[in-house]
Amino acid sequence: MTTDWAERLPTDFAFAECREAWRMADAPQPPAAAGSALLTLQQVQLRQPGRSGASIGPFNLALQAGEHVAILGPSGAGKSTLLKLMAGERPPQQGELRFDGRTLAGWSPAALARRRAVLPQSHAVAFSLPVALVVGLGRVALDHDPALASVTGEALALAHAGHLTTRRFDTLSGGEQARVQLARVFAQLWDAQAGLLLVDEPLASLDPGLQFELLDAMQAFCRTRGHALVAVLHDINQALAGFERLWLLQQGRLMGDLPPNASALAPLENLYGIQLRSVPGEDGRLAVLARRRVA
Amino acid sequence: MTLSVLRRGPVPRTPAAAGSKLLAWPLLGTLALLLAATLLAAQFGPVAISMADWLAPWRAAHDDGSAAFSGAAHVLWQIRLPRVIFALLVGAALALAGSLTQALFRNPLADPGLLGVTTGAACAAALTLVIFASAAAPLPPAWRPWVLPVAAFCGALLVCFSLDRIARWLTPGSIAGLLLTGLAINAVTAAVIGLATYLATDEQLRSLSFWTLGSLAGAGWSLVATMAVLLALLVPFACRLARPLNALALGEAAASHVGIAVPRLRGWVVLLVALSCGAAVAWCGVIGFLGLLAPHLARACVGADLRRQLPFSMLLGGALLLLADTLARTLAAPAEIPVGIFTALIGGPAFLLMLRAAVRQQGGSV
Repeated sequence: MTTDWAERLPTDFAFAECREAWRMADAPQPPAAAGSALLTLQQVQLRQPGRSGASIGPFNLALQAGEHVAILGPSGAGKSTLLKLMAGERPPQQGELRFDGRTLAGWSPAALARRRAVLPQSHAVAFSLPVALVVGLGRVALDHDPALASVTGEALALAHAGHLTTRRFDTLSGGEQARVQLARVFAQLWDAQAGLLLVDEPLASLDPGLQFELLDAMQAFCRTRGHALVAVLHDINQALAGFERLWLLQQGRLMGDLPPNASALAPLENLYGIQLRSVPGEDGRLAVLARRRVA
Repeated sequence: MTLSVLRRGPVPRTPAAAGSKLLAWPLLGTLALLLAATLLAAQFGPVAISMADWLAPWRAAHDDGSAAFSGAAHVLWQIRLPRVIFALLVGAALALAGSLTQALFRNPLADPGLLGVTTGAACAAALTLVIFASAAAPLPPAWRPWVLPVAAFCGALLVCFSLDRIARWLTPGSIAGLLLTGLAINAVTAAVIGLATYLATDEQLRSLSFWTLGSLAGAGWSLVATMAVLLALLVPFACRLARPLNALALGEAAASHVGIAVPRLRGWVVLLVALSCGAAVAWCGVIGFLGLLAPHLARACVGADLRRQLPFSMLLGGALLLLADTLARTLAAPAEIPVGIFTALIGGPAFLLMLRAAVRQQGGSV
């Protein structure tokens, strides 16, 4: 791949980023070994500033392409911090993260944004931007984007927020803002394949009906495009119903990497200090009823 | 009233539709208003201007008489018109700096004046004027007019960078923290300006009061040309940053997740703010609150999308400064009130109103 002078000129900000991304994508890559993971964490460790002595990790995790993983654990276990580590938002002090065979630092922001989206827990947006613009910002890394209008509309519809298109973001309720932000990450990965979606408690501020609808939308969105999904969740039943692996976190350590079947019950009981009784769930999957642990 | 109508008309349903076509209507309307305001402002003043004076250049071209540019015609073409256009350009530069500062700090109450950037530039200029006056002597005469602008630019740049660092280190993400950091920086720069005043000779003192009050009296065609060239260089670049800056409204982490190289973006914005602010301060002194008001009004008219807000707030900034300057030079004619006094008198209460609105919106705390 040759670089000509035109590519070195300071052009449009996002445009330059994309050029860089293409150049990096075109450069000869060591071919990924067959069956290699989409995202790997090797001995990743992070000491938390402010909490004396508290550190999370070391984590040794491998996420396969298209896999759906739920992160569970009590409050303060480091779920969000693990997600931030995986998003590259918090650089680890030790260890290495690789996305699609390349270290996170080896990706340009724009190239990474075309394969991986992150939905943070807080939805604060400065100024009063229109909803359609907020959703469209998911695709800001694309220089030329003729499909922007249609993708924005479809993403909003998929997130059950089609009726909010003409509103301003700061006038929305918490649940509506969550839906618009979900539409934003949908728009970001709309035409990508085998990408990665990281979400932090996406259903926290929604009513039960919407929780089901949005969880289904998120699962369907990822399945049709082969995206892997990693979600921090609070609801055990949501994790059991829609995910293939459960990562159990306690005090910054990984306590278990389990499939969502009966074998997960005992570790989950220990994790939260509760008793779980299994009840028949939808289409043969496991569901549980939480009860107080009897001393 | 007319402005809110403009907003209701061609509201884009999608971001893609917010293209140049829909941008054109409010822009063209404002441009027409600006042109009318420019002609009117040039008409007002202690010396009466007649139609014949307006036609002086054409008369001069026809009978190549040097007599054409005498009296009122000279006042119009050599004093008033450059000053009016200079007011538009400086207002636009200040509004640009204000818009970019607000986008950078994700905060509608951020303003280069309140945060100390403007006074930082004035402080550097004052130091240059008093302490390093002798240092400029060995310079070639052609370079001398550039010493003050370069000093002002460096001062603005220094304050911008340290503000960016200090506010993020001490009080990350807090509006109050940012403004308090600005307060501290303002105190330091005010002390340095005070020191410069103390050390100044009588003649230097006169120039110094010019910095702290702000005036457009120095305007001439050469300054107009310099400012126009500077803006012509800065504006296209700033407009290209509008899209990534919109993404910055999502928060720094979210902006980097959608593919923005945030540290580089911050660097560019700081540079642009320092350049536009430094230039305005170097040639006009401290004109406060314009960078706060113009973006605020623009946001109320065309919305918060920077691709539209940025050009619109520059037009409004020009119009506001033209209005203030016309008042400043006509109210007490033939004497002249420094224009910075006017912008501060209007801007201070306006800031308090905006603060009240912000507090109400966020439920009692900033």
